[in-house]
Amino acid sequence: MQDTPILSWKVAGLLLGLLVVLATGLVKPFGVSTQYVLTDAIVVHQVAPAAAESNEYLNKYGETSDWSIGYGWMLVFGMFLGSAVSALATRRMRRRENPALPAVWQAEFGNSKSKRLRQAFIGGLLLLFGARLAGGCTSGHMISGISQLTVGSFIFGAAIFASGIFTARKLYKNGLSS
Amino acid sequence: MKLFLGLMIGMGIGAVMQLGGASSYRKILGSLLLKDLHVIKLILTTIAVATVGIYALDLVDLANMSIKPTYVAGIAIAGLIFGVGFAVSGYCPGTCVVASAEGKTDAMFTLLGGLVGAAIYALVYPLLAPLIGVANYGEITLPSVFNVSNGLWIAIPFSAILLLLVFTVLKDRYE
Repeated sequence: MQDTPILSWKVAGLLLGLLVVLATGLVKPFGVSTQYVLTDAIVVHQVAPAAAESNEYLNKYGETSDWSIGYGWMLVFGMFLGSAVSALATRRMRRRENPALPAVWQAEFGNSKSKRLRQAFIGGLLLLFGARLAGGCTSGHMISGISQLTVGSFIFGAAIFASGIFTARKLYKNGLSS
Repeated sequence: MKLFLGLMIGMGIGAVMQLGGASSYRKILGSLLLKDLHVIKLILTTIAVATVGIYALDLVDLANMSIKPTYVAGIAIAGLIFGVGFAVSGYCPGTCVVASAEGKTDAMFTLLGGLVGAAIYALVYPLLAPLIGVANYGEITLPSVFNVSNGLWIAIPFSAILLLLVFTVLKDRYE
């Protein structure tokens, strides 16, 4: 099956853990969600500089990141490139007729591509709203934060899994067909 | 130099996440439905390795730590919102980047939704800022709370518990 991962969780977890240590040793721990704000800020600064200057939150980030593409942004861009390279190398790139619809989703919700894309969009909106309120996401809070034994990151991790498990059960009442 | 390091480390992370199935909707929902714990075990293994590694680096003063402040109410509410987005999209802010690179169109919409969500947060930030002041204990970690100067004393048992969990307690229903 195409969805069976190439690496086991043991190997992937070990490698990912070592990369997090490497990042922390060489520069700083990795976190993804800040880069969404930075990307927004770059765009808003281009199209509506006045609005960007007057926004308290975007400006808060401006003090530390001078609007230019930095280490963190390059890291996320690297994640995109690295994934593309390994997907191509292992022939996992989606070229099927329906790259928008995961098979398990299709089994539960049917063939509506627009419904799936709407869900994906709304989900992304909630993800980043939550991540910005928390100050980090799965990478910055969960992985990097808990690895530094940060108290708030344990709270964040517990909350996302509690809410994620609850929501997933509401969505998939009959469980996941595999 | 930092930009190049970022790119290289990012490429490694992206490739490992893609090869490890972290960017798979099926694997993420499987974990949230507690049926296929692959992704949960992957994350816990990552944390187990990284915790000991980071605190070992810290011992020789080489860890560039970055501790986030603990504001209990704001983080708990944020986590609940994030969890809904996690289950509904089947991705997170990092995995949707990795999945987009694999050509998954739904992940690209999660990425776009994320950019909009971050922009909405920037707009309403003045209204939510007070929440960050509620029960805010600052940049605390387990070693700082328990006043342990060598973090490894906590990191090693913590990682051992995680490894024990992933290797013996957490079992997939389809394994």
